[in-house]
Amino acid sequence: MTSRRGRLGIAAAAILTAPVVVGVGYAVAGALGLVGPGASGRPSLDRTFLVLSESAVIEGTLWILWVAAASTLLAGVASMGIAVALRGTGRLDGLGRALAVLPLPVPHLVAAVAGLLVLGQSGFFARLAFQAGLIDGPSGMPALVYDPLGIGLIVALVWKEIPFLSLVAFSVLGTRGDALERTARGLGASGRDVLFRVTLPILWRGMLPAAVAVFTFVAGSYEAAVILAPSDPLPLPLLTWERFVDAGLDRRGDAYVLALLGLWIAALAVVAHEVVRAKLPSLEGAHQ
Amino acid sequence: MGVLRVRDRPRRRDARASGAALLIIGALAACAPGGDARPADAAALAELPWDSVVARARGTEVVWRMWRGDPAVNRYVDEWVAPRVAERYGIRLRAVEGQGAELVNALVVEREARARGGADLTWINGETFHNLRREDLLQGPWAHVLPSAALVDSASNIVMRDSEQELHGFESPWGRVHFALIYDSLRTPQPPRTVDALGRWIDEHPGRFTHDQSFAGITFLKVLMYATAGGVERFEGGFEEDAYVAGRDSVLAWIEEHEDRFWRAGRVYPFGVAELHRLFANGEVDFSMSNNQNEAVTKARQGVLPASARPLILRDGTIANAHYVGIPFNAPNPAGAMLVADLLLSPEAQLEKLRAEVWGDGTVLDLDRLSAEWRGRFAEVEGHPGTVPQDTLSRYARPEVAPEYHERLQQDWRERIRGGG
Repeated sequence: MTSRRGRLGIAAAAILTAPVVVGVGYAVAGALGLVGPGASGRPSLDRTFLVLSESAVIEGTLWILWVAAASTLLAGVASMGIAVALRGTGRLDGLGRALAVLPLPVPHLVAAVAGLLVLGQSGFFARLAFQAGLIDGPSGMPALVYDPLGIGLIVALVWKEIPFLSLVAFSVLGTRGDALERTARGLGASGRDVLFRVTLPILWRGMLPAAVAVFTFVAGSYEAAVILAPSDPLPLPLLTWERFVDAGLDRRGDAYVLALLGLWIAALAVVAHEVVRAKLPSLEGAHQ
Repeated sequence: MGVLRVRDRPRRRDARASGAALLIIGALAACAPGGDARPADAAALAELPWDSVVARARGTEVVWRMWRGDPAVNRYVDEWVAPRVAERYGIRLRAVEGQGAELVNALVVEREARARGGADLTWINGETFHNLRREDLLQGPWAHVLPSAALVDSASNIVMRDSEQELHGFESPWGRVHFALIYDSLRTPQPPRTVDALGRWIDEHPGRFTHDQSFAGITFLKVLMYATAGGVERFEGGFEEDAYVAGRDSVLAWIEEHEDRFWRAGRVYPFGVAELHRLFANGEVDFSMSNNQNEAVTKARQGVLPASARPLILRDGTIANAHYVGIPFNAPNPAGAMLVADLLLSPEAQLEKLRAEVWGDGTVLDLDRLSAEWRGRFAEVEGHPGTVPQDTLSRYARPEVAPEYHERLQQDWRERIRGGG
């Protein structure tokens, strides 16, 4: 039974990973100049070294990592706060939890456009400020979109990711919180100690896989960045696309190098998560 | 040994399972609806009598890969062209997304996978035609045998040479447009009409001008290049490095001179012309731009731009170019594609898309080759209020130069002006 299950598992995993394996293989061949538009047909690592040493690539990568880290952290902290505040069994708590996850089905593209319409220099806030006499035109409004710090993009992403992370946080607290908290209280811990030494550690550990998913998604996503990100530095996902459709056929192979760079970032985030989890002492074991 | 055998068996099974998995991966990689059963290609069809081409195409489906970003263009194709090819030839025309660089990339991958083509007809020009020809991804020659090809303005360099490339029958002309700035006649009643005047206007109105990073923006840079570096004549006759370097330095110097008075002090540029239209419509900047001089009128009709939006043709000359349809190397139905291309060239199809309320796309036909009745109809449509008179367009039209100018200027602008090369 086990070996049949094992074989089925391998087959299922192979089918699931086949597109990724094929895609990565093709991207590697493209980065080496063997396939794809403008390919020379002769394997070479020259393009890889050249592209990875470009300041545009380094800056675009660091910029999207900053946005991904900031938006994940802010959305994570906000979600933990929401989960703790709304963990009761009352009607209002239930309503609050429902409202917190309501934006979950909103596509990222829609969130980005909403961010533009609200935060742009001719957006909702700018129009309010103009009506109130605080600014005398669009240029008087602080630049919150296409801005070098990515404030507009981070705000839109935080708004979009809070529902997902909140949903995870509700689940973590609901399934793993009560027993440990009761034990801590039974051992004489104050409410503050229970919050900071039991509840929040349970939450952030339980939310860590979801946070990694959010981080890697944001670091690789195109649709929100193309609406709200600046043109310098150009975020890695936009740079990848720009090279893929470059007017010059010879530059299009750069996109394979950049796509693999994005994949490496995602893989490193997952590996880092596994390492951190492996090193964390078990909360359950700590009090036994 | 017996123990070993027992242990070996699952390993062999696992190996078979892995082999099966690899086969699945291989099958996925090949995506293999075999590419060998190819129909007669367009070049062979071009040798046949036209009636024979029509007979082969009747009752078939034609997939047209094209830019689907403009509702007006989509409506024209879906609601005017498609019903007519269905009525006349029983052809089911299906327009799908796919343009420019994406199209070239898709065809390269289809060739590598030996896959049956996903499209019969494509909408192309300029750099895309250059890259498709370079990679040998187009069928031809075929365009010269279309019955309506006899009506094309064959004396026009703009129509018969695509960015200085000879067509050689590998693409059929479809439309002709002129680059234009767009201004609001209420907000800017006296717009600048030359590149010099535009520079002064930018200096006097800080934060009110920018250009996009995409195709229209790079065309604007080429307009500046012609105007500031000695005219288009200096760049004609194929790509020449010295001429390019001089032209590039001239246009980038112009940008650098005025950039700190651009929108957001030139630290950021709108991604595409749609974003630029939005900034213009919302009053963040006073100019937008388009590769089609009639877009001011058509977008105003759609409510995207203010009703007072008008096209502005710079007197230093503005780039005019044509766009075409081609047949990919692996098109399953080249005969059907040829019929659609022929219909697109017919006077009635050209007239319909010229209407500002339909699309506003210029004709590639030589009106002198049409009957007096058709000439009258075209004259009536060209006189639409808000559009630029034909004689003005003709006087200031400048042809595209070799595609390498576009490619290099785009790259150098990104590296030296925008950042993020």
